[in-house]
Amino acid sequence: MTTPTPRVIIPGSATKGEVFQVKTIISHLMETGLRLDERGEVIPRKIINRFACRYGGVEVFSVDLHEAVSANPFIEFHLVATESGRLEFVWEEDGGGIYSLAHDLVVN
Amino acid sequence: MAITRRDLLLAGSVGSAMLAGALASSPSALARGETIELVKQLMGRPATESNRVHLLMPAEFPTGYTVPMDLVVDSPMTEADHVKHLHVFAPNNPLVEVVSFHFVPRRGVARVSTRIRLAEPQHVVAVAEMNDGNLLMAKTWVDVATNGCA
Repeated sequence: MTTPTPRVIIPGSATKGEVFQVKTIISHLMETGLRLDERGEVIPRKIINRFACRYGGVEVFSVDLHEAVSANPFIEFHLVATESGRLEFVWEEDGGGIYSLAHDLVVN
Repeated sequence: MAITRRDLLLAGSVGSAMLAGALASSPSALARGETIELVKQLMGRPATESNRVHLLMPAEFPTGYTVPMDLVVDSPMTEADHVKHLHVFAPNNPLVEVVSFHFVPRRGVARVSTRIRLAEPQHVVAVAEMNDGNLLMAKTWVDVATNGCA
């Protein structure tokens, strides 16, 4: 099974006070726990259950994902550019898996 | 423990025969009173339908596996007036809770998009929890051609 791979599309810079868009996606089957395998047994649930974004060390956006979020979860959100800083993105998986990306935003 | 459609039907038959009837029938369109009742059971208190909550989804979509959903809440997102949480429910899915978004004032913007699974044509319901405790909600009918939860 391939490792869940996250990707983020975000501007490199923004003007102070500007609303900017962040697009995120992570490759993940999002096994709902409702499907049966060939033998008729339930395939256990394994999903990304949480996504969070930290901006300059402060959590500014987070999502609780349940089984009804589609495979390869796509989350697009918006933030206000307050000052230059690091944005950290983290995806948490059932069973403790953690995937993360970081991006430095320049605000002028 | 996740809220299943069965939980809602059982709670509905105790609390509201109208709600149980609506959820049991298929395809299930929620009348206004039924949505209010449903949200009251899911959130523990009543919500008011508000045109400040924009739940934007296609009225028809060929697959239930990845239905696009845009959510915008008109809010200044100041310390005094902002959206704290935004919950989405699909009452006709086997598991009713879909996704919850959490925002902060000042840096946050109540504007998100994602893609969700729907098991059958139904009303999707969004509930915005404001900082003063008020619940604002909106619903939209989505007709999907395939069961995205199977």
